[in-house]
Amino acid sequence: MVQLSAKDQLILDALTSGCVRTCARLISRIERGEPGLVELLRALYMAGGSEKIIGITGPPGAGKSSLVAKVIGVLRRRGNRVAVLAVDPSSPFTGGAILGDRLRMIGHATDPEVFIRSMASRGRLGGLAKKAGDVLTVLSAMPWDFIIVETVGTGQSETEIMHYAAVVVLVQTPMAGDDVQAAKAGINEISDIYVVNKSDHPDADRFRRQLEAMVGLGLRLEGDRLWRPPVVKTQSLVGEGVDELVDQIGQRFRTLAESPELSRQRFRHRLRHRVVEIVREMLERDIQSGNGMLPDSRLEPVLAREKDPYELAREFLSGGT
Amino acid sequence: MKRETDYGYEIKSVYTPEDIAGVDYGRDLGDPGVYPFTRGYYPEGYRSRMWTRRMTAGLGSSEDTNKVLKRYYRMGQRGGLCVISDRVFSDCIDPDHPLGRKEAGVLGWPGCSFLEFEEMMDDIPLTGHSITLLGSCAPTTLRLAYVVALAEKRGDEIGLIHGSVMESPFENYFGQTDVQPFDLNLKLFLDAAEYVLRNNIRMRACIISQHFQESGGNNAQAIAVELSMLKEIIGLLVNERGLEFDTAAKLPYELFSIGSRFFEEVAKMRALRRMWARLAKEEFGAKDDKSCHLLLSVHTSGRTMTYQQPLNNIVRCAIQTLAGVIGGCSALDNATLDNAHAEPSALAARMSLNTQHIVACETGAADVVDPLAGSYFVETLTNRIEEEAYKIYGKIQEFGGMIKALEAGYIQKMLTDEAIKKFQEIENGERLVVGVNHLVLPPGEDFEIPIQEVRGEDSEKIAHRMQEWKKTRNLPHLTEKIVQLYRDARKGDRFNLMPSIIDAVKSYATAGEVMGTIRMARGLSYDPFHIIECPFALDGEASAHAAA
Amino acid sequence: MQVSERIKVIISMIGLDGHTMGAEVVARLLRDAGIEVVYLGVNQTPEMIVQAAMHEDVEAIGISSHASNYNQVVELVELLEKNDLKHVKVFCGGNIPKHKVVELKDKGIAEVFPPGSSGKKIVETFLNGTRGGKWSN
Repeated sequence: MVQLSAKDQLILDALTSGCVRTCARLISRIERGEPGLVELLRALYMAGGSEKIIGITGPPGAGKSSLVAKVIGVLRRRGNRVAVLAVDPSSPFTGGAILGDRLRMIGHATDPEVFIRSMASRGRLGGLAKKAGDVLTVLSAMPWDFIIVETVGTGQSETEIMHYAAVVVLVQTPMAGDDVQAAKAGINEISDIYVVNKSDHPDADRFRRQLEAMVGLGLRLEGDRLWRPPVVKTQSLVGEGVDELVDQIGQRFRTLAESPELSRQRFRHRLRHRVVEIVREMLERDIQSGNGMLPDSRLEPVLAREKDPYELAREFLSGGT
Repeated sequence: MKRETDYGYEIKSVYTPEDIAGVDYGRDLGDPGVYPFTRGYYPEGYRSRMWTRRMTAGLGSSEDTNKVLKRYYRMGQRGGLCVISDRVFSDCIDPDHPLGRKEAGVLGWPGCSFLEFEEMMDDIPLTGHSITLLGSCAPTTLRLAYVVALAEKRGDEIGLIHGSVMESPFENYFGQTDVQPFDLNLKLFLDAAEYVLRNNIRMRACIISQHFQESGGNNAQAIAVELSMLKEIIGLLVNERGLEFDTAAKLPYELFSIGSRFFEEVAKMRALRRMWARLAKEEFGAKDDKSCHLLLSVHTSGRTMTYQQPLNNIVRCAIQTLAGVIGGCSALDNATLDNAHAEPSALAARMSLNTQHIVACETGAADVVDPLAGSYFVETLTNRIEEEAYKIYGKIQEFGGMIKALEAGYIQKMLTDEAIKKFQEIENGERLVVGVNHLVLPPGEDFEIPIQEVRGEDSEKIAHRMQEWKKTRNLPHLTEKIVQLYRDARKGDRFNLMPSIIDAVKSYATAGEVMGTIRMARGLSYDPFHIIECPFALDGEASAHAAA
Repeated sequence: MQVSERIKVIISMIGLDGHTMGAEVVARLLRDAGIEVVYLGVNQTPEMIVQAAMHEDVEAIGISSHASNYNQVVELVELLEKNDLKHVKVFCGGNIPKHKVVELKDKGIAEVFPPGSSGKKIVETFLNGTRGGKWSN
């Protein structure tokens, strides 16, 4: 049982009753790396319920943000409350960033039942932001019906989304004319649903057929052989195909709910990753915070090659001095 | 301080015959009126046809704009009138739209219905001078429809009207943003273009580099982008709409932004004339010499008009006007000395028109054609900018043309990078601007100028009037025309919508109604801002269609 | 001009104004100074900007106004206050006549940048105006 301070209890209550303002402020505190948030995050995990994170990934220019905007529209029409986490890259030189995803979601800019938060990746590769895991813990404790995560879209293999999202949607366009684009992206196996966006393109059908052929080759978990990832054609500009996409997302959530062992298996996989991530973050904070976990004096022997860094690491992990 | 052109060519201290040793007079220059038209299109220059001296108008209500146009005439505006639309009309919503209410008539003329056009043109003839209506691509079709409808109503012969009411879809990327998607803008533009060309209406289209350059692009990029836009649009008219090149070539005109780097600006105009002539002849196989003419208008540069010490802008404006005239423009309008502060005041407008008349009457610059030809420096600059522009043009063609280069983000990146470079050159003192980073006055000592007030309450008045007036229209008739437009708009991109837009405009359909209907037919929302709903029962029409 | 911790701001246009270059240049300057910029682009209403400010928990909002729609900037400031977001500073840049500059400052706009303002000054004002200048150096 997590013991919370009175102040944290207030925050927890506000979040579980859906207070957007509290959510926004807490995300900032997480992003700033404020110490002392672990207890609150623990309580938030315990408050979280069913899986509802949809990951949307794909190469740059695939129209992810526009598609997300349309997906929000459909979900809203069906009475769902939606949170969106949109990640953009930070400048490796200055740490600054221009976060431009929100501007494509203009249609939902005043809807009180939609929460949109932009995050800078802050040096994290893999398509997500450094603190995405903690932020998703916050959002998951709130009464959103769905949480959408839109990845950076650097064109690199952004497989990280599979460690966070229950359902992964890969968006591609026939534009680049790359027959191999899908294969190259390396995320063929992780995707639950494929989208061919900009379906008015003359190559759209050919591309979809290629994808469908390729999907059959994908590796799936034991017990998930019945799910053949569908390929949905959309035109995010006018919203064509988006209803079908949302139907397929819903269908995927249902198949997972109907196969509890499969769900648990997928969940375990995400948790395993998440725990490693938390360990890494905790260690990093301890080591990097400069408050003496690894003072210069302990580095000296390694510097002088009297000791190797592996041994020092082992000592550190075992809590030895 | 940098001693290089704005596109980065380092200028030498002196130029000699050696610098132009490779120039072949007949091949590269030719007499005025002779291919490749580097020296201009008319053997007699301004003696045979004076340039159109005009000011851009448009502020407040249509009646206000009408008064300003008449005042400009009294101030010496000759040859044509030019009106810019407000943001509401440019976006094709109506003044009574929640977003329109705040900005109707604020930055231009609120021309959202044929009624507004009739009021603006009250007591002003459609013929005998050029009619230029500016403001975004999508309303191109409406502006053209207004002219056609008014000519018909007044009994003017349409063939006698000339001017320009069309704007290319590319402006959307150069700081003249409107909300319509590119494919819709392109379709509407081609519809309007095809309509005027097939019906022998002497209306031209801005396919212009002005906004690109005013947003920060350099001279060489501006020419490259201009040529690429021309190639793309003319290519579409020829290949997709089946027009002869010599017909399509009657359509475009260029509006150059002319800055203070005098010799470079003159060189730029000469270079573009030559480059277009070669494109027309060599690539498009022009049969008529006239197809090698690209009408060149000039807008003296608004971005060079400083906020600080605004009277300095009179001097800048004079230098730029002289450059435009010596470069051989066919029309000229000026940014005003108060450009960085507000819309033009009466005083500022008068100063700008006077500047043109002083250049026309007092300097002698209009007496001789292409007076700088043969200057070692200017001929070198002409060759240099041509060379640099061809490089960029080549890159754009490698992408597959202007539209592909935009889709790839190449043009946008080039423009933003250049804008930032220009900003930093001033920031770092590499380029000096008097009053901004050189000879700066403390804020308290700066001179004052009269400011044209913008009255927010005007917008509400315009909105209210439209709201009430809408109800007084013949609604069954209007609905019939709107439904027809909707049906036609579902017939695909090649089906020309101009006739049904003209019909709708004649029955006083508004900009918001016409564009909303077309948007619905294309699967878009009626309101580009997702605030208001379609007031017509088109959905029934849509499902009837689906059932059929 | 590095900051030791992230500052997050909004850069936006307001109303129907379509002249984006000023906003784009400022967004880049701020990014290059290590600031995280939520870029909202064109056609924003005060209501939309306020919701964005709340969701994104920003410290400042920069509005580029080429087009005489500075009255909407005043509306924005009022709406921020109504939504308990008074701590979010509003900066405004663009073609704004001098007497309007005074008026805007009276109405709670933290700073106005007319054309010709230096980039260094804009960046410094954003840095100093957020977190009480604590993190600027």
